[in-house]
Amino acid sequence: MDVGAVFVVTTLARALAFSTPLLWAALGEIVAERAGVVNLGVEGMMIVGALAGFVVAQSSGDPWLGLAAAAATGAVAGALHAFFAVIVRADMYVSGLALTIFGLGLSGLIGRGWVGRPLDRSMEFVSLPLLSQLPLVGPRLFQGQYLLTWLGLLAALMLWFVLHHTRLGLVTRTVGENPAAADAAGVRVVQVRFFAVVFGGLMAGVAGGFLSLAYRPSWGQGMTNGLGWIALAMAIFALWDPLRAVLAALLFGTFFTLSFSLQDRFAPQLLTMMPYLFTILALTLTAFRKGGRAFGAPEALGQPYTRGER
Amino acid sequence: MRRMVLALLSLLAVSVAGAQDDPLKVAFIYVGPVGDYGFSYAHDLGRQALQEHFGDRIETVYVESVPEPEVEPFIDQLIADGADVIFGTSFGFGDGMLAAAQRYPDVIFGWGTGIARAPNVLTYMADFYQVYYLNGLVAAALSDSGTLGYVAAFPIPEVKRHIDAFALGAREVDPEAEVVVRWLYSWFDPAGAKEASEALMAAGADVLAFTEDTPTVIQTAAERGYPSFSHYASMVEFSPETVVSGQIVHWETIYIDIVENILDGTYTSTNLEDVDYFWLLEQGAVEMGAAQGVPIANGFVDELTWFEIDHPELGATNAYDLVMTRLEQMSESRETFDPFAGPLLDRNGAEVYPAGYLPSIGDLVGLEYAVPGVVGPWDNEPR
Repeated sequence: MDVGAVFVVTTLARALAFSTPLLWAALGEIVAERAGVVNLGVEGMMIVGALAGFVVAQSSGDPWLGLAAAAATGAVAGALHAFFAVIVRADMYVSGLALTIFGLGLSGLIGRGWVGRPLDRSMEFVSLPLLSQLPLVGPRLFQGQYLLTWLGLLAALMLWFVLHHTRLGLVTRTVGENPAAADAAGVRVVQVRFFAVVFGGLMAGVAGGFLSLAYRPSWGQGMTNGLGWIALAMAIFALWDPLRAVLAALLFGTFFTLSFSLQDRFAPQLLTMMPYLFTILALTLTAFRKGGRAFGAPEALGQPYTRGER
Repeated sequence: MRRMVLALLSLLAVSVAGAQDDPLKVAFIYVGPVGDYGFSYAHDLGRQALQEHFGDRIETVYVESVPEPEVEPFIDQLIADGADVIFGTSFGFGDGMLAAAQRYPDVIFGWGTGIARAPNVLTYMADFYQVYYLNGLVAAALSDSGTLGYVAAFPIPEVKRHIDAFALGAREVDPEAEVVVRWLYSWFDPAGAKEASEALMAAGADVLAFTEDTPTVIQTAAERGYPSFSHYASMVEFSPETVVSGQIVHWETIYIDIVENILDGTYTSTNLEDVDYFWLLEQGAVEMGAAQGVPIANGFVDELTWFEIDHPELGATNAYDLVMTRLEQMSESRETFDPFAGPLLDRNGAEVYPAGYLPSIGDLVGLEYAVPGVVGPWDNEPR
């Protein structure tokens, strides 16, 4: 079999697996930011999700129950940020950072007793029907992945549809672009923003659960190790579009896995740096937002909304 | 005012008078959380064993997750709380400890994995190179492909020494064996360790070893049923079926010896300039195995016994006996057997040590070269 083709398919498979938590977390952040709220607490929401997922799965023996707990815990953490950033209108950057620091510390403290043993029953690989029978790609790409990897791609598709083709999506985007206009049109801006952030937390919780229940079925202090920050960069790189987030995930994942498989040919630092170079490029693009709305950040991103103020 | 001074003086007098019976206060500074199940966890097991050994003659305390550049205020606080001896367990604590040692000339400092000493600062290290060599013997005997994977943290002499020793062991069993190395450039990067393991297995490795701070490599190798070796703590629980052996540290052997010498007055705050512990199998500071007392997991003993070797020095033997012979020899002394003993070439064919030369501890501590069989990038490789 062609060595090159095998290498490409294997790389793609590893990129998909590695970037699964990034995709889930980035999709959540995209929704929150589309509604106008920046949440720098992704890392914190992920890690409390990872711990909650592990604890519940280990206690109950059911990894999917663990995932539900991870999602719920992430949502609660998101609600915490939403309370400060949307309702109290505290500085949302400070609130998000605080959430990350708080999440890392709290999970480390509570998680002490859970360190040092693997998950007894972790999530299992799934084989996609039909696709897994294909030559070359079947065994390498469509077997040996977790269900959450494929569900993540599906979630991206669904979120894209919701954001661009439903009333709910229109409302969410309007709240992020022009909250005053949305308010005037009768949209409950605070409510929409609140739930967008909670949804972002839920997705980050799933991302954390994927780590502790599937990708690396165990708990370790600080096990997210910066993935939450990469997800934040991905949301920007994807220019707040769920489908482009899939591209971003594949790109970030490909460079990450290549930094190991091609280590004898390229300096790994060079490869792991690439996605961030692209992110800076994307940020530069958004600065020229007049060049086309498709490349713009939500107009009211990062601005707290108070009725009657300009 | 005068009354206060008097009161303070009397307090001082009491504490000085009481000092004779006070237990020796020994403080530990950890770089990570004790729950990291790795480096700091191992040191804390050592602290607990130390406390148990000396009972109420000493009192131990610890601070965890201390950022390396900020160690000095922690030292100040520990000394204010009465610490007589301070062990800083991480290399990165060195600058702060050496500075503090000058300000507190009466306090004894121990710098773990350190490289510089002072009249009141000793250095200590429990090194795994012999154990990695033994693991390498086992790995090559278990590999079908002859390709062994190695996930490594940083290209620093300590890690290079481990990889080289592992490769020397592997080549002794299989002269064609290759040890493919992938670097994380981090001590803690679970996702990196996972993807590095995947990349190694995709490149043909069917046995994995590592030097970094998570059990990820073991878990990833287990997905394909590949044997692996645990590092630092006993990680056998992460995959009881596939963990063959590994490296276990016993910091307590060193801690007990140091404190014993302090208690009987041999070590004082003025004579530590030349006290450097580099303890090995011989002193019981390290152990081969994934669980204490089990050098090789039972499930692999037969396969190793069936693996026949025509050994240039030991004659017809098998992999299991070879491992046990080497373990015994090295437990006796470095002079009896050392994997780095000359003649030794590096992987570029240049002579590192001439025949009959036994490298000193200093040679090993500063080791930068890669031995034959090591494949992969190698920063600061001598040319």
